[in-house]
Parts: sequence; structure tokens; C-alpha cells
Amino acid sequence: MPTLEELVEVNAISRIEVEMGVREQPMRLLYGTPSFIDWLNEILAGAQPRNRLGEATPAEQVDELFYDFLRGLPLLPLRQFRFIRAEKNAVWELKTPDIRIFGWFLKKDCFVCVFGNWVDLVKDHDLYRGYRIAIRRLRREFNIGDDLCVQGVAPSDVLSF
Amino acid sequence: MTSFHFDIGSRGRNAGRFIARVRNELLRALAEKKKESKFSQQALANKLEVHRSLINRQLAGEANLTLRSLSDLAWAMDLEIELELKKPADEIGKNHTNATSTVQSAPIKVLSGVRNAVVPIAANSDRCAISTEQAKSA
Repeated sequence: MPTLEELVEVNAISRIEVEMGVREQPMRLLYGTPSFIDWLNEILAGAQPRNRLGEATPAEQVDELFYDFLRGLPLLPLRQFRFIRAEKNAVWELKTPDIRIFGWFLKKDCFVCVFGNWVDLVKDHDLYRGYRIAIRRLRREFNIGDDLCVQGVAPSDVLSF
Repeated sequence: MTSFHFDIGSRGRNAGRFIARVRNELLRALAEKKKESKFSQQALANKLEVHRSLINRQLAGEANLTLRSLSDLAWAMDLEIELELKKPADEIGKNHTNATSTVQSAPIKVLSGVRNAVVPIAANSDRCAISTEQAKSA
């Protein structure tokens, strides 16, 4: 079974960083798969949903979500994050008004982003099950065991508050 | 690639983080009100004579907050709004978010370590790896 460092070494995941404020240091860790990084680049290039709900642009929403996550702010359960299904090695969703990000917690306070998409597409096409299955398959392909996957589904299992 | 820096530029970053800060402050105030006097979103909606779903969407960031609606929400919670525009504190040793952005449209300035001594850097140059010494000699 690979370690976190080995996953980074073989480019299975890359660390994601955002600009921190003055006198701030990351308190949590965020990683993304290569395809998720490609999606982030599309967001940076100005991709927009058909009907934007948020006042902030999608890029601003993602920056703010990552910023709050990384600086260790308490995220609001259900409003900002939730598990897709109560199960061992659950898949989790990070939320902004217009965006949903799917992945899992490698460790407490350490999240891997695998898929990102617009809220309306996720809801209209009910993509939750598909993303959940795809992420479970990806973990099997990487041979990721229980040591790199948080077991519980309580907010306090995955995030320090 | 071992790390990816999600950099939207200082203008967008300021906007996005400011919008979120306002909403978080409203959520925090409402949560406190709930604790104090069981004041709910429904009570807020009743007082403002709007549908609760509008309040919920505004607090969730799914509906725009105007200055009027912000003022109304504060009034309904019996709170005052304090707003102040000020220069960021300039201290040696702090992070300079504007200076380290790689996509800012305006010319970037790097503090040379001396208070108020700034060195502008060309907009298209590689800004990530510029040291203080390089900045001084620019």
C-alpha cells in the first residue's frame, strides 16, 4: 500500500495551495488528482456555469473554500461539506454556491479532490452515485488501504474544529 | 507536478474573501441570536416581510446581498454595521499577498525589507522566484 509521499512522488496527487493572508500558515492539507488540477485550470481560465448563483465568480468561490479549509477554519457541516453516503471510507463533498468538489479524506484535515463540477449539472444529472463509485474505483487502482482513508463520517472525524 | 498554486490574483481574491467574510459574519451573528433568544431565520424573514427561502439563499451565497439587504438583515437582528477602509498594516516579516500573486494585472511591488521602500516588477516577469536582493537591484 502506498504512502502519501509515494502518491505525490508518482504524480497520482499534487498538493494544492492558495495565497494565505498575513501571518497565516496552512493548518490543513489539500491535494488534487491530475484531472482535478486540469479542471482547476479551466476555472482559472474563466469557466462559468450556465446560471451562476453566487455573487463571487467560480474561481473566487473555490479560492475562498480552499482558503478557509487550509487555514483551519471550522467549515459548516451540510452547508460547506458533507459525506455522500454513510459508509466505511466515505466519499465527501466540498460545497460552494455554484460548485461541488468530490474526494476523500486521506487523514483528518487532509483532503484529496478528485472531481469538480457545477452544482446544477451534479443535481440535474444526479452525479453523486457516479462520482462515489469512480472515487472508490480510483482508490482501488492506487491500492489505497484504510491507513489512507478516514473511517468515520462525523464532521469531527475528518476536520479539527 | 508536486504542488499547484491556485492563484486567482489579488483583485479576485480580495473580492471573494470579502464577500465570504460578510456572509460568515451574518451567519455568526444569527447563530448568536439563536442562542440568546431562539431567533430563527423564519423570525428574520417575518420581521423583514420576505420569504424565508430568500434569507436562506442570501446566507448561503446563492442570492446577491445588496447594501440595502445587508442593512436590513442587521436591523432585523438589532445590530449595527461597522465599516472601515484602512491601509493594510505594513510590518517586517509578514506575508505580502499582493506581491506574491502571479496573475495580478497591475505591476507588482516587492517590499525590499525596509518600510515603505518598494520596487515595482514588470507585469509579465516571472514573479515567483524574485528575491529581495533581485528586487533591490531591479
